[in-house]
Amino acid sequence: MKLNKDKLADFLAAIPGKTIFGPQLSGETLKFTPITKTGDLCLTANNTTVPPKSVVFPQTETMLRFEQGATDIRTAEPAGETVLFGIRPCDARAMYIVDNVFFWDVDDPYYLARRTNSTLVGMACLDPCVNCFCTSMGGGPASTEGLDLLLTDLGDSYLLEVLTGKGEMLCQGAGNLLDEASVADKEAAKLLQQKAAGQIRRKIDPSGIPARLPALWESPVWEKVSASCLGCGICTYLCPTCHCFDMQDETEGAESRRYRTWDSCMFPEYTLHASGHNPRPARRERTRNRINHKFSYFVDKFKVIACVGCGRCINLCPVNIDILDILSKVGEEAL
Amino acid sequence: MPDLEKLRALAKETISRDDIKCLIGWRPGTYGYRTSPHFVRSPEDADQLIFSPLCSSNLATYLTLAEKRPVPRGAQPDTRKVAILVKGCDSRAVVQQVAEQGIKREAVYVIGCPCEGIIDLRKLEDKYPHTLERVEARWENGKISLDLPGGRAVFPREEIVAGKCLTCRYPNPVIADVTVGEDVEVRGSAGFEDINWLEVKNAQERWAFWRDKVNSCLRCYSCRNVCPMCYCEECILEKQNPAWIQRSVNISENTAFQLARAFHLAGRCIECGECERVCPVEIPLTHLNRKLVKEVSEQFAFTPGVDPEAKPLLVGYRPNDKEDFIL
Repeated sequence: MKLNKDKLADFLAAIPGKTIFGPQLSGETLKFTPITKTGDLCLTANNTTVPPKSVVFPQTETMLRFEQGATDIRTAEPAGETVLFGIRPCDARAMYIVDNVFFWDVDDPYYLARRTNSTLVGMACLDPCVNCFCTSMGGGPASTEGLDLLLTDLGDSYLLEVLTGKGEMLCQGAGNLLDEASVADKEAAKLLQQKAAGQIRRKIDPSGIPARLPALWESPVWEKVSASCLGCGICTYLCPTCHCFDMQDETEGAESRRYRTWDSCMFPEYTLHASGHNPRPARRERTRNRINHKFSYFVDKFKVIACVGCGRCINLCPVNIDILDILSKVGEEAL
Repeated sequence: MPDLEKLRALAKETISRDDIKCLIGWRPGTYGYRTSPHFVRSPEDADQLIFSPLCSSNLATYLTLAEKRPVPRGAQPDTRKVAILVKGCDSRAVVQQVAEQGIKREAVYVIGCPCEGIIDLRKLEDKYPHTLERVEARWENGKISLDLPGGRAVFPREEIVAGKCLTCRYPNPVIADVTVGEDVEVRGSAGFEDINWLEVKNAQERWAFWRDKVNSCLRCYSCRNVCPMCYCEECILEKQNPAWIQRSVNISENTAFQLARAFHLAGRCIECGECERVCPVEIPLTHLNRKLVKEVSEQFAFTPGVDPEAKPLLVGYRPNDKEDFIL
């Protein structure tokens, strides 16, 4: 199917009862926020600075509320239905990967509710960034894992591919806005997607990494790659697959709430014990953990690398710690 | 512009000394315009050293960021000096750390690098996005030249350097054991015209300006961690009992965080602009810092980070200090 760009606003308006999030400027930053005007959407810009995980896994999320002197606990309001419009295939794939954790031994009710209530409308990535390496991590500019619908920008219109039942539901109300896509349209989209994949210049073969990591536990490579690390949270907070959180209570007057908030394994207190002992005392150990979690532990448990190659950690690291550089060093280091 | 051969030769000589354990400088990064801090531990490591308009990092941060690992039983702690390459602004951080007794002067060997201004990578990326090939840059007669994949490009300094370099009054290191390259001309003015446009607004308008910016803060703490003056062993941000600032990320706690940090830098900020450079959501933090620099300058005629012997502003007292701001 095909959607003329003139009809985009009508298409979005025809989606009833769901909050539609899209990439928009918030301050100076691109992130997924609820759409009020179609004109504010930045659909051609590169990846958002803040990944769309913030919609299904908000940075700060209230879990329950309680009052001093009372015994009743009010749990959080159930999450409403959402659409993530214009999500990049790498970010959708990241959610697909992270689902493994939140639906694992115990279902996480907060994530579960938001995730099952969300419909992911992807936008094929036709102009990759300098540090994109999705093709090395099992994805690609038009990868469909995690997506319900995929759009490809054909200039005046979007080619629309329905991938799941959820995606089909979304199009139901908009039937009269959609045109039939011709074979030529599909061919054109395929060519654009292939061209984009060809533009990705950063590459690595990660296949040997998971097996090498355990043997490199005490390797001097970790000291080398973490020497300049500042210990900030950029690489983890802005990673679409990082999913660690901390739980805290906050009191205001007589009312308190328990909430969870993103946490980062790059912070010292992440592993600080009540005794004062810290099993990951320095940035060497923390950097080692970041790489091991994505490329070893996650692979052991879920048979997939927890990195989608979106390039955010490389783009935004203040001191140019480059995950591809770390991986190539891990690949070369003598065992 | 220092001769790289001379810089590397000096570094080799320095790292070969018995009383130096490490030399901190810059090296080319992994792609495009990026450079990376470089830790020289052997003469061979010095071959990668560079100094160019792309060397944005203030390396003075690493003087206090170094992790003190436990010394094995029977071993002596390594008390040798750390050698460090500093631009003008970076040298002020070293001076301020010494003045505050955060580090000892004799623990550092300062190699001064006069600097004509550092490129603002955001400006460069706007002009030439998606550059993967390594790019070199040079200062040339008040201009900055770049070897881009498409050929050489020359920019007037004012067009491409970071905002902090336009107001810089200390391009030449204020402290150095040895200097590489010639001193450069001081171009920044002593005034604070750069923040006039924000100061003339009323409180409501100023809040409207800051509200969205503070709201987008992710509390990644990169501004704090990169700051050479944020070296407290225990920061109020990590305090749990009492939790001065809650972990929840919302406009109230974000504002408390940003204001607390700004106030803690009053009379201490040396205007290296690193906080603004590293912020992933582009909060213009130098505006806040410049306002405090201005207040400190006008109220107390004090400039931090220029005299290692001077008492830090907030631990000093003079009977004739102004009091008219006390309610």
